[in-house]
Amino acid sequence: MTTLDRRAVLGLGGTLAAGVLLAPGVSLLAAPGERTEASASRRWAMLIDINRCTPDCSACLTACRKENNVPLFGEPDRDIHWIRKVELRDKDQRRPTVSLPVLCNHCEHPPCVHVCPTGASFVRKDGIVLVDEHRCIGCRYCMIACPYKARSLVYHETRRSPESNPNVPIRSKGVVEKCTFCVHRLDNGLQPACVEACNSVGGGAMLFGDLNDPHSEIAKRVRTVTSQTIRADLGLKPRVHYQGL
Amino acid sequence: MVSYPSLFHRSFFRVLPLLMGLVLAIPQPASAGDVPQQGGSGRSSGHPAHNGPADHPPLEVPEGRECVQPAEWMRRNHMDFLKHNRDMAVREGVRVKDDSLKNCSTCHKSREKFCDRCHAYVAVAPNCFECHDYPK
Ligand code: HEC
Ligand code: HEC
Ligand code: HEC
Repeated sequence: MTTLDRRAVLGLGGTLAAGVLLAPGVSLLAAPGERTEASASRRWAMLIDINRCTPDCSACLTACRKENNVPLFGEPDRDIHWIRKVELRDKDQRRPTVSLPVLCNHCEHPPCVHVCPTGASFVRKDGIVLVDEHRCIGCRYCMIACPYKARSLVYHETRRSPESNPNVPIRSKGVVEKCTFCVHRLDNGLQPACVEACNSVGGGAMLFGDLNDPHSEIAKRVRTVTSQTIRADLGLKPRVHYQGL
Repeated sequence: MVSYPSLFHRSFFRVLPLLMGLVLAIPQPASAGDVPQQGGSGRSSGHPAHNGPADHPPLEVPEGRECVQPAEWMRRNHMDFLKHNRDMAVREGVRVKDDSLKNCSTCHKSREKFCDRCHAYVAVAPNCFECHDYPK
């Protein structure tokens, strides 16, 4: 435990420290990519610029489904959505209607984790809220607790297809799942699939990074522009921030 | 604080059943230690376990390579190994490439000719492949 804490405090990735421990000098080069570890010194967050998100663009949705093998059953109340677009209308129609991508907010105080009876829902050291699908019994308490409706239960059996991403598991019927901020990609130094797609095919509305790193693009932007979180009144401290809402 | 006399007292009573057990065991020449070998029909599966050969179809293992852990150890502990790595990867983000479930298939290329053959024999049915990709 103490070694982990120290690493976290020094801000070293697990890769480097472990490499040094195992074989000084030799494995330093080989280490990155061979071993990863979540670091408590990070605080992953997302900033979505609503002004750049157009209603007709669905680059992030498509990319998410593709990356995480999320199927579409075509049943509105049973479909799985890790990220979806919500239309936001002003009651007095004084502001234009905006289209808001909504995904798991990875709250600092996640009610879903609080209610989980098996410990399947948990917060990783770097603040990402996850479902350990190996432990989920499908009770759906978390789905009720989540104010963002970010979670879905898998109602049907699914199969792999030749187009499936072989590096990501598919799903079992009766398990709850949701956005993972693409942990499997983050751990390998990549950005979440939606962010990547938004910045290549989409309008470039999504920014992702480490709020604890003062030099990161997202930390700078959060400091300089006005951003909001949704349902801030609940005090859950979401990690998905919106600009221009 | 424990005083000496009482300590002696306790340890004596702890040893007593052991002594009695010894007395009982001595007259019997064959104790529980040597169970007769089972399934010793001479059929070789290539990799007999310590306590008798297993009767499952031969397992397909790659030539000239070594398992991520000693094969003898893996035979007995791969389930705990995989589950430990699973918890570390999912919960702590500790992903060791060599130890991932995915990596098994770089050598054990067919699930049917390796994992399943043995699992069918011992009647276990891990559900891992409902979600995880592994070549048939
Ligand atoms: C309900 C679907 C599901 C089932 C069933 C399942 N897993 Fe997983 N498993 C996942 C998901 C989702 C992850 C997280 C993937 C990630 O973060 O990369 C994962 C991650 C893992 C990992 C870490 C990543 C890797 O490839 O090393 C291991 C190891 C693992 N599972 C082993 C198992 C084993 C062993 C079983 C069977 C006893 C099993 N899983 C059953 C969904 C499942
Ligand atoms: C680099 C190649 C390689 C990888 C990767 C690998 N293995 Fe092996 N494995 C072998 C070889 C070769 C043997 C046979 C060794 C022997 O018999 O001496 C073996 C043997 C085994 C055995 C014992 C089979 C028996 O003979 O009874 C088990 C169980 C096993 N592996 C499981 C796994 C699992 C689970 C993984 C994934 C974590 C894995 N292996 C990854 C090469 C590999
Ligand atoms: C030499 C025989 C053998 C081989 C080969 C083998 N297994 Fe197993 N495996 C077992 C046995 C025996 C058990 C059951 C242990 C128990 O129930 O305590 C088991 C259990 C498991 C479990 C835990 C199941 C559960 O529900 O708890 C997993 C996961 C597993 N094996 C994965 C694999 C994978 C993946 C491979 C192929 C790469 C493989 N095994 C190859 C013998 C084998």
